Amino acid sequence: MGLLENIQKNIADNPILINSEAAFSKFLELGFPDIKNEEWKYTSLKKVISYEYEIEKNTEEISEKEIKSNSLNFHNAIIFLNGKIYSKPKIKGVTISNFEDQNPSFDNAITALNASIASNGYSISVDSNTVVSEPIEILFLTKNSSNNFIQYRNNINVEENSEVKIVEHIKNLSEKICFTNSVTLVKLKKYAKIEHNKLQDNNDNQISIDHTYVDQDKNSISTINTLIFGGLFTRNNLNFTQNGERGESNMNGIVILDNKEFADNHTFMDHKMPNCESNELYKGIYLGRAKGVFNGKIMVQPDAQKINAFQANNNLLLSDNSSINSKPQLEIYADDVKCSHGCTIGQLDENALFYMNTRGISKEDAKAILTFAFASEALDKITIKELSSLARDLMSKKLNVNLSF
Amino acid sequence: MLKINDLKAGIEDVEILKGINLSVNKGEVHAIMGPNGSGKSTLSAVIAGNETYEVNSGSILFDGEDLLDLDPDQRAHKGVFLSFQYPVEIPGISVSNFIKAAITEKRKVLGLGPISAKELLSSMKEKMELLSMKKGYLSRNMNEGFSGGEKKRNEIFQMAMLEPKLAILDETDSGLDIDALRIVANGVNKLKSKENATIIITHYQRLLDYIVPDFVHVLHNGRIIKSGGKELAHELEEKGYDWVTKEADEKWGY
Ligand SMILES: Nc1ncnc2c1ncn2[C@@H]1O[C@H](COP(=O)(O)OP(=O)(O)OP(=O)(O)O)[C@@H](O)[C@H]1O
Ligand SMILES: [Mg+2]
Repeated sequence: MGLLENIQKNIADNPILINSEAAFSKFLELGFPDIKNEEWKYTSLKKVISYEYEIEKNTEEISEKEIKSNSLNFHNAIIFLNGKIYSKPKIKGVTISNFEDQNPSFDNAITALNASIASNGYSISVDSNTVVSEPIEILFLTKNSSNNFIQYRNNINVEENSEVKIVEHIKNLSEKICFTNSVTLVKLKKYAKIEHNKLQDNNDNQISIDHTYVDQDKNSISTINTLIFGGLFTRNNLNFTQNGERGESNMNGIVILDNKEFADNHTFMDHKMPNCESNELYKGIYLGRAKGVFNGKIMVQPDAQKINAFQANNNLLLSDNSSINSKPQLEIYADDVKCSHGCTIGQLDENALFYMNTRGISKEDAKAILTFAFASEALDKITIKELSSLARDLMSKKLNVNLSF
Repeated sequence: MLKINDLKAGIEDVEILKGINLSVNKGEVHAIMGPNGSGKSTLSAVIAGNETYEVNSGSILFDGEDLLDLDPDQRAHKGVFLSFQYPVEIPGISVSNFIKAAITEKRKVLGLGPISAKELLSSMKEKMELLSMKKGYLSRNMNEGFSGGEKKRNEIFQMAMLEPKLAILDETDSGLDIDALRIVANGVNKLKSKENATIIITHYQRLLDYIVPDFVHVLHNGRIIKSGGKELAHELEEKGYDWVTKEADEKWGY
């Protein structure tokens, strides 16, 4: 068997689980993508779907202590335990509920699977003219006695002139594998603003596929920061669509992987309207036998003049057996466009390391300082203090260093 | 303090240092001069521990211990300091954090207690004053975007903070304007003591007017071909290198 059969059996036993017949038959028709699919060329699902999974069963109790130690302990926290909402805050001007998608959309096999049977997730709706002063933490904790497949479907709606900051954290507390398939739909009305941070710091017990769709009206600003500090297998798909003028989309990422960890960041920036801007900065640091994939597609539609699109993907390979596949993809159909992209793959600068050594700084610390410096440009985009200091701690841990500044 | 015996080093199969012998005692100032490409920077890099260069034979005794057995950071902890001819830009770390990292590590290795942030800052301020350095410089990234002269001054600032036993100044004068040269030389002189020693690599007499050497050596084609007192530098300034190198080339071949 494998994931596909596990899902089919689960549905056969329990047909009412299906939200959308259309989505489910689409999923069955397409099946999980393989490497013949251009979008999955360097990212093979073969292994991760060959494992046996229970579908949201065999859950174990999660204690208050575990919640506390895995949380940023923000005042505003939405906590999911094993898929079920456990607590949610009351925030003025913000409506928070379970997300129920009456007519779930999908655009590929994996989002079709999500649309057909996802039954967990949040909906956040920010009223117009509301600046949510404190960030909202969203914590998805799971703990299972067997491998587990779980899906989330989320919705964020930010009305005109409103602003919200979010930290989303998916954490598997068990030794068994948790395979998460999430879809998040973000809608920004005019002059709305969001900073959405995704923290992905699991060990080799987590498989994640995430699709996030950001739909922007005019003059809205979206920022998605992705922090990947581990995980057996991670595939993130960020899709931005600018439907109005003077919109701004920012995506930043830091990837630090070791051992046999794998992460693929697929981004798609769709510039449909003129006078917009997008900025993309992904920094990857690979150790051990870790493998990374980056695919950044920028589309500038025929009428989208005066676009500024910037993209950079910089990578450090700190071991002989690590690798990165980086692919920018620009499709520009307008003529008055500023578009720049760059991809670098390198090692740490030997001259800089030697210079630091001669000042009495050990090789390990010198490497750590340079590695931090490498990542800091992306790290600086996070405006939530608690999160950036947590990120620093997690980076130190991952890089096995102890820096006192 | 420093005793270099028959040091041969190079890159791959090219020998750059072809048998260097040099003794430096504490309290002394040595100047090393010599034509471009003669091996001066290579010698300083090998003393500091740059692994780009392969040492084929010889030893570098420092207080009786062979530096060749130590990593560059360990050499620094023993008191060796190199002021780089081309200081390296280190992005993402401020001058003050850099100095803090260097001093914290040195104190840890030497078993000294940690130094308080306040103490460290006031010591940095004092050394900055000594070298007439601009405020705000501590929070800039290490050497990033520094002018040539600022980089050189920053080297001497680090030297002042680390208080080495042996300082090697590789063309610290190049890139400094006339006033800066005087200020930096003054700083170096103030840091001099009976307990430490300085090796100055330079092309010009001017620096040696400020920091007066006890010995002057001429390095040519990987060998020290002549040594003398401070008057040798004057003689070289006047006559160039031809008269010393010619004799050496006849002896060793070029
Ligand atoms: N990393 C290197 N790779 C290749 N050749 C090198 C390297 N380092 C030094 N050399 C060569 O070794 C010789 C000595 O170089 P070095 O930099 O030591 O000279 P120098 O005496 O300091 O010269 P200058 O007065 O111009 O600073 C030169 O011919 C140089 O090209
Ligand atoms: Mg030189």
